[in-house]
Amino acid sequence: MSEARVVRTWSLVAALAVLHFFLHVGLGIGREAPDLLTLALLVAARELAIGGAAAVGFFFGLLEDALSVLAFGSHAVAMTATGILGALTRDLFVGDSRLFAVSYFFVGKWMRDLVHWIVLGDELRQPFATQVLAQGSLAAAYAAAVGLVVVVIAGRPGEP
Amino acid sequence: MPSYGADGERYGARRQVGLAVGIMVLALATPYVSEGLQQQVAFTLQASVLRPFIATQRGLTEASANAEQIDRLQAELDSLAGLVATQAALADENRTLRQLLGLAERAGPEFLPATILRPGTPGSESSFIVDLGSDHGLREGAPVLTARGLVGRITQVRSRSALGMDWTHPDFRASAMVADGSTFGIVENVRGEFREQDRLRLNGTAYYQTVSEGARVVTSGLGGVFPRGIPIGTVEATAEVQGTWLKSYWLRPAAEPGSVTHVLVETVDGPSDLSALWQTDVPAPQTPPVALETPRVAPPTPPADPEAPPGGPGR
Repeated sequence: MSEARVVRTWSLVAALAVLHFFLHVGLGIGREAPDLLTLALLVAARELAIGGAAAVGFFFGLLEDALSVLAFGSHAVAMTATGILGALTRDLFVGDSRLFAVSYFFVGKWMRDLVHWIVLGDELRQPFATQVLAQGSLAAAYAAAVGLVVVVIAGRPGEP
Repeated sequence: MPSYGADGERYGARRQVGLAVGIMVLALATPYVSEGLQQQVAFTLQASVLRPFIATQRGLTEASANAEQIDRLQAELDSLAGLVATQAALADENRTLRQLLGLAERAGPEFLPATILRPGTPGSESSFIVDLGSDHGLREGAPVLTARGLVGRITQVRSRSALGMDWTHPDFRASAMVADGSTFGIVENVRGEFREQDRLRLNGTAYYQTVSEGARVVTSGLGGVFPRGIPIGTVEATAEVQGTWLKSYWLRPAAEPGSVTHVLVETVDGPSDLSALWQTDVPAPQTPPVALETPRVAPPTPPADPEAPPGGPGR
């Protein structure tokens, strides 16, 4: 991997993570703001080996858990699993099209919400149809749309 | 004989898989570590990486509150302008602010004003951060109030901040009674399909006792979690009748947590009965006579219902 590409990728990941917390925590915007942290993880996972992607996912998950008194650790599990799955796609798909990028972001975000829903436990989660199928799909579509914009501006994940 | 390169690649891949499995196990173990360690991790991250974002939200909340307060004060200042000119500006402004914070004045020094911050991340909808902590005398379980009534309670206290849950939290329970003391029960949160549909329900009331619509429900003080007399809501409708044993009622909440930005939090020396804070017979804070005579400021007329607080509980 060239040095310029490493710098570009990590700058993008850091910018997405900072923007995520600025929108969600700094400005207090809820679902109206996209899940840029998952986008950042998915971008990083296409560049990292599986262990590194898991570590980044775990760190991002802990950051979200630090702001939640409900089910501490649920975000860490969901983000770690997402990082691992994202890194595994490097061996399965050589994505260089925008269609692949959008699909990757959509499925990645949806899987993250699914794992989070599973880890949350019966008492805290809403019905599957509401939280995962309806809200999760909408959030995934939103993240994929924003991811497409990011890809257009900054280049595709995995692109040299 | 295999090349060093191939061996190295296989070793590297195995190491990466091992690392990923290790981190996954660590992540799966995170929900089960002790609550103290969880708090420590959360606090460390809040005080380091997340600190700028929390500070941004605090700044915006304070700026927004200041802007709102300025609008309200401006309206009063417009009508009082002629008289204000004859008085010391600082003293007048101080008196007006104390009027706006009437509840805080009646509550006394046992209650401290605080700003509520909401993280806004998934899973934190029912929790909030308060900018006071054990250094200010806060304790776990302390009630969080507004002029309208009960918002929630403090769950975790740190030295300079605290975490709290509002009544939309699934674990929220409050021992309650109708304001006239005729019926007792437990108020709990009933989650809706969406968070906006969360409601309060008064459960476990005696079947033979009928509670009329609009009756005020306050904390009973039983169980020692909340002091007596804090408004929780008003009865809207009957929710359920269980045989000939029990009835439950839907409540209209006194305080909507989503719109709350500033609250009062009880400190360690708080009283056990707060009924007087919302009673009409409590003397109102001293107001300047000029404010009562100006046409744009409504004079404080006594409400028809002797049980109701002055002008309703914060309405």
